Amino acid sequence: MTEGPKGLARALRMRGGASWLDLVLGAAGLGSLVLLWWVGSRTTTFVPGIGEVFSALPQFLTQEEIWPDVLATVRRVFGALAIAMVAGFLAAYVMHRGGLWGMVVERYVSIMLGIPSTIAALLALFIFKRSEVGVYFVVSIITFPFVALTLLQGLRAADRRLDEMAAAYRLPTMAHARHVAAPHLIPYTFAALRNEYAHAWKVVVLAELFAVNTGMGARFARAFDRFLLVDAMLWLIVFMVILLGTEYLLLLPAERRVLRWRGSGKEAPA
Amino acid sequence: MSAVAEETAGAGYIRVEGLSVSYDGVTPAVTDLDMEVRKGEFVAVLGPSGCGKSTLLHVMSGVMRPQAGRIEIGGHAVGGSAAADSPPIGYVFQDHRLLSWRTVGQNIAIVLQAAGVSAEEINERIDRYLEMLHIDGFRDTWPMRLSGGQRQRVSIARALALQPAVVLMDEPFSTLDEVTARLMRQQLAELWQESGHTIVFVTHSIREALFLADRIYILTKGPARVFDVAEVPIERPRRYEDPKLTELEGEIVDRVLGVWGIGGKP
Repeated sequence: MTEGPKGLARALRMRGGASWLDLVLGAAGLGSLVLLWWVGSRTTTFVPGIGEVFSALPQFLTQEEIWPDVLATVRRVFGALAIAMVAGFLAAYVMHRGGLWGMVVERYVSIMLGIPSTIAALLALFIFKRSEVGVYFVVSIITFPFVALTLLQGLRAADRRLDEMAAAYRLPTMAHARHVAAPHLIPYTFAALRNEYAHAWKVVVLAELFAVNTGMGARFARAFDRFLLVDAMLWLIVFMVILLGTEYLLLLPAERRVLRWRGSGKEAPA
Repeated sequence: MSAVAEETAGAGYIRVEGLSVSYDGVTPAVTDLDMEVRKGEFVAVLGPSGCGKSTLLHVMSGVMRPQAGRIEIGGHAVGGSAAADSPPIGYVFQDHRLLSWRTVGQNIAIVLQAAGVSAEEINERIDRYLEMLHIDGFRDTWPMRLSGGQRQRVSIARALALQPAVVLMDEPFSTLDEVTARLMRQQLAELWQESGHTIVFVTHSIREALFLADRIYILTKGPARVFDVAEVPIERPRRYEDPKLTELEGEIVDRVLGVWGIGGKP
């Protein structure tokens, strides 16, 4: 009757590669966080109750003034991440080419990787004062070394045999870039993007806490200063929903779509 | 020109003269190699593993430049200043070298686009050559979904769809299981008879060379030089188990024993 563990695994597998097991584990993780929150609210005076926060959520979301701040943060995250991706690619390319500039950029990237995000954020914000440019600069400068390292791995893993094939078939430079080099880098680009996306959100909110009067970080700081702990929790929930929502509903499906050629890796019969 | 090249001189479509190649500028991979291939001829290049056979094809395709000597295909110097005007070359590598992120049809289309073939013609050729290689149901399939044999068929279809002046094949069946490899050899022989392409087929298998080729250039152990040229006087279609093929195989083994360093003098 039973098909054993393989049958069970197959039965648990859903369309698109996700499994019921993933969902169960995800729900368990979320459940444990809610439990911690509940314990915190029961044992301390400063953590608001779950019911109290969620009952305030509908009214909070209908306030028109929260959305400009949400949009400001989203704009900063995407803008700074775009700068970091371009800068990271250029740094990776220079490092891959080697030579003096390659060594210089490599040292710079190594140093930047060793500086804690908070310290870098504070230093940059002192330099740029309380300006919008400062936020973009901080996020880009903190995330681009990670992007550079991931893309450098991609450049180093390029398949020389495909370059030979392209040369033998006389593919023009643009066709080589479009069909051979760029697609090879796409998995590495997605890896860098997904890793640094969450990182960028954290740094943007951190920068907003200290530097500017707009954005989710600034609103969070204001709520905290006024001891509006329910508001602080509501901002935290909005932050997490946007971060995880865009990750799972935007980035992950886009990655699956672009990398669909990987398939299961299973060979067809000869 | 060496004695071997003089013997085979004539209406050579591919002419290789005094070719010497080295990867590091010091250690030669190919040395003073001469070769001529007539238009429409199926020539095998036979040599032991690592002797420089693949290097020879790299230079013939223009991927590598030689240290000395020259190669002409259809009167055009390979790797010369007018290389872009030289006739197209199909190259079937030992591994399939397909772009995993492009479908079977797209893999073929890319090389045809680079050769300036019109979109309509590309579409028609993809269908025709996939059908010819018995993989016509796989046009929109990702290479990773194919078996090793199917991928190599796509690689051959890509080379032939270019309708090249010359097809270079570098041990294309060496990674396949023996049954698939035999089937592929059979189909390649049939395809060649139908299409009349000029094929240079590199192999270390004497029997494979005898089964496929009109003539066999036998190379020395590296650095590669032409040691001998063997005609294959067996009528087509050939059978892999033909006793005459076995007899010729024995003769070639006797000839190369000493030269390939298996026995006798190194």
